[in-house]
Amino acid sequence: MFKNYFKIAIAVLKRRKFFTFISLFGISFTLTILMVLTSFIEVMLSPNYPDVNRDRELFITRVELRSSKEDYTMMGALNFYLVNNFIAKMKTPEKIAMHSNRSTTNAYPNNKKLSVDLMYTNLAFWEVYQFKFLMGKPFSEQQLKNAEQVVVISEDLGNNYFGEGVSALGKEIEFNNLRYKVIGVVKTAPATVFYAASDIYLPYTLDVSTSGGTSLMGSYLVTLLAKSADDLPVMQEEYQQLLKRVPHPEENEELLFSYADTYLESFTRYVLGKGVASGRDQFFLILSAVIFVFLLLPTVNLMNINVSRIMERSSEIGVRKAFGASSRTLVGQFLVENLILTLLGGLMGLFMAMATISILNSSGLIANLDLKINFIVVCYSLLACLVFGLMSGVYPAWRMSKLNVVTALKANN
Amino acid sequence: MLKHLFKLIWNKKKENFLLISEILISFMVIFAVFTLLVYNYQNYAVPKGFEEENVWSVDLGELNVSKNKDSVGVLHENLRNVLKNLPEVKAISYASANVPFSNSMFTSGTGYKGIRINVDVNRVEDDYKQVLGLSLLSGRWFSPEDNGLAKSTVILNEEAKERLFGKEDAIGKMISDGSSKVIGVIQNLKDKSDFKAPMPAIYTRIDTGKINQMNQILVRVAPGTTAAFEGKMYKMIASTIKSTNLEIKHLSDMKAEKNKETIIPMIIFFIVTGFLIINVALGIFGVLWYNINKRRAEIGLRRAIGATSSAVSTQLLGEALVIATFSLIIGSFFAVQFPLMKVFDLPTSVYLLAQFFAILFIYLLVVICALYPGKQAAAIYPAVALHEE
Repeated sequence: MFKNYFKIAIAVLKRRKFFTFISLFGISFTLTILMVLTSFIEVMLSPNYPDVNRDRELFITRVELRSSKEDYTMMGALNFYLVNNFIAKMKTPEKIAMHSNRSTTNAYPNNKKLSVDLMYTNLAFWEVYQFKFLMGKPFSEQQLKNAEQVVVISEDLGNNYFGEGVSALGKEIEFNNLRYKVIGVVKTAPATVFYAASDIYLPYTLDVSTSGGTSLMGSYLVTLLAKSADDLPVMQEEYQQLLKRVPHPEENEELLFSYADTYLESFTRYVLGKGVASGRDQFFLILSAVIFVFLLLPTVNLMNINVSRIMERSSEIGVRKAFGASSRTLVGQFLVENLILTLLGGLMGLFMAMATISILNSSGLIANLDLKINFIVVCYSLLACLVFGLMSGVYPAWRMSKLNVVTALKANN
Repeated sequence: MLKHLFKLIWNKKKENFLLISEILISFMVIFAVFTLLVYNYQNYAVPKGFEEENVWSVDLGELNVSKNKDSVGVLHENLRNVLKNLPEVKAISYASANVPFSNSMFTSGTGYKGIRINVDVNRVEDDYKQVLGLSLLSGRWFSPEDNGLAKSTVILNEEAKERLFGKEDAIGKMISDGSSKVIGVIQNLKDKSDFKAPMPAIYTRIDTGKINQMNQILVRVAPGTTAAFEGKMYKMIASTIKSTNLEIKHLSDMKAEKNKETIIPMIIFFIVTGFLIINVALGIFGVLWYNINKRRAEIGLRRAIGATSSAVSTQLLGEALVIATFSLIIGSFFAVQFPLMKVFDLPTSVYLLAQFFAILFIYLLVVICALYPGKQAAAIYPAVALHEE
C-alpha cells in the first residue's frame, strides 16, 4: 500500500512542476535554516575540542556582592585569593582548573601589528582542558613555582608571529615589552569555546594581580571537573556551603552570591538569571517560541498550496470515496504523500545546510568555527521534517475528507 | 465596484482564510524588518560629532607599581612628555576607560531643578577636544583657568542639555545638587557605534590629583602613520611605565568592530526574511494562479457578455488587493499596539514609518504576484472557456 502511495505521490509531484518547486523550495530552505541553527547550538553547547569533559564540569565565572539594603551591587570575576584559599580546597571535584579572563595586548613582530589574547592558568587547566600539543608540552610544576618566563601558544599565533611552517618551539616571543620562551604549541581552540580560547597561556605566577589582598573580585574563572556527571549537584552544594565561610566584612558587601553552573547555565544566568534560578528554562522557552514563529510562515504557505493541490484532485477523491474509501484512509494517504514531499525537501535541505555550513566555516566570520552536521543534528532535522509535514498536511487533508462525493465528482469534468 | 469586490471575497472567506492569514503573518515579519531598518537608518543619519580617523586609544593595562599616588602621577606626566615629543603625535589626552567605541560604561545620575537623568560620565583633559575634533555649540571648553576652582566645571552634550534644560540656556547653571557648574555644551558624540543613538553625557576635567586613576590615553597621530611607528611607540610606553596588557587600538577599528554587532545580526535577519518572502510570494502566486484556472468558466462568461480583457485582469488584481487589505487591517491593529504599549523603547515615528513601508511593500508584493495570473485570465477566449464547460 505504501508503495502505491509513494507512486501516486511522485506522479502528483511530476504533474504540476511549478507547485512542486514552490513546496520543495519552502521546505528545504526552512529546514536548512533549522539545521544550521541546530548545528550552531550543538557546537556552542556540546563538548568540543579542547573542552571535551563538559558533561561533568561546572563553571564559576563571577561573584556578586550586594549591600543588605540591596541598593548597591558589584559583580565580577573571582579574585585569586578566593580561588586559592577557598575553592582550591574543595573536596568533591576531581580537578580544579583556574584561568584568568582573556585579556588583549599587542605584539609587533617585523613591524607588523598583531592583536593577541592571553590568559594565566594553573596546572590543572591542562588536565581539565584536553589541548592537543602539536609541539612541546605545558609548563611544569617547577616552572610554575619559579615563575619562569615561559608560554604555551596557539598554532595560529605561531604562524602569524614566526611565519607559516616555522617551528616556534624554544623561540622567544615578545609582548608587554617582555620576552617569553615558547615551550608548547597547541591546536588553536575555536572562539566558540568561550572560556578557554586564547592565543597565549602563561603560568599564573607571572600575573602581578595575584599578589596580596583579600578582595573577592578579580579576573579569575574556575572550572570544576567532577568524577562523574552525578556528582555535579553535590559539587554545587559544597560550593554554596563554602561561600558561607568566605569573609566579606566590608560595608555595603553584606550579601555574597556566586554559583557553580553548567556551561549553558553560566551564560543564561548572566542574561536571564534571577536569584537562584539560572534562567535556563526561560532560555529554552524563548528559543522554542522563536522557532515556532519562524516555522509558522512557511507552514501556512505550504498549507495554502496543499489545499490548492488537493482540490485539484477532487475527481480522484470523489471516485475513491464513491468506491468506498473512508475519510480516514484518504487523510492517511494524503498525510503520507505530504510526508514524502517533506522528506524530499528535507533531503535537499540537508545538502543545502552542508553547503551553508562549509561556507560559514571557511568564511572566518567566527575564528576557527567548526560547525558539523552530525547524527544528532540529522535526527533533530528529521523530527522537524515530520512535525512540519504533519502540521502542513493535517488541515488540507481534513478539508479534503469533508468533500461531498457528488460535488467532488461534478466539480471536475 | 469596490463594494462588490469586498462582497466577493467575503462570500469566499473560508477559501481565502489561509491566504489572509499568510499575508497577515508576512506583514508582521515585514513590519519587524522595516522597524529595524528605519530605526538603524535614523541613527546612522545622525552626524557623528567627532573625527575618529587617526586617533589611537592606548590602554595602559594594569600598572605594575606601588599604589603610592604621587609616584603614579609622576609616571603619567613622564609618559605625556615622552609622547608629546614624538613628531607623529599631534595631540594627546588622558581619559577614563569609556573612550569612544570601548566596551566600558561609566554612568551616573545627575539632576537640575527636580529633573533627574542618568548620564555617561567621561573624564577628559583640555586637549580632548583637539584629539577628537569636537565642535562646541555654546560656552567654552576646559582650559587651565579651571584649575583649583572650588566648584568643579562640567561640559554637557546636546542630548543631556536638552533633557535637563530644554530650551533654556545651560551655561553657568549649577547641576548635580549645585556641585558642578556647566561651562559649555558640545555637539553629541555618536560614540557607541554608527547605529546607536547618542546618549546624554557629561564631560568632567581630570584634575592633576586624580590623573593616577586614568589608564587610558587617546592619541591623535599624523595621517599615514605606520605600524612600524606604532611598534616604536608601544615600546616607548612600555619602557616608561611598567605595565601588563598594554594595548594600542585604532578608534576606526574599534568602530568597525562595534558596527559589526549591529550589521551581522541584521544581515542574517534580512537573508532569512528575504527567503521567507520569496517563499510567500511564490505561494501567493501559485494560489492565485490556481484560483484563476478554477474560474475559467466564470471568466469566460464575463468575457462573452462584453467585459474587456483589461476589466477582467483589473478585477482579479482588485480581488487580490482586497484580500491583502483584509490582512493589513488586522495586521495594522497589532502593529499599532507597539507604539501605544511602548513595547520597545523606540520613538513612535519609527513604528509609523515602518508600518507605512510595510503596507506599501505588501501591496507591491501582492500586485506583482497577481499581475501574471491576471494577464493569463485576460487572455482566456470566451469560446474556448465556455466550450470546456
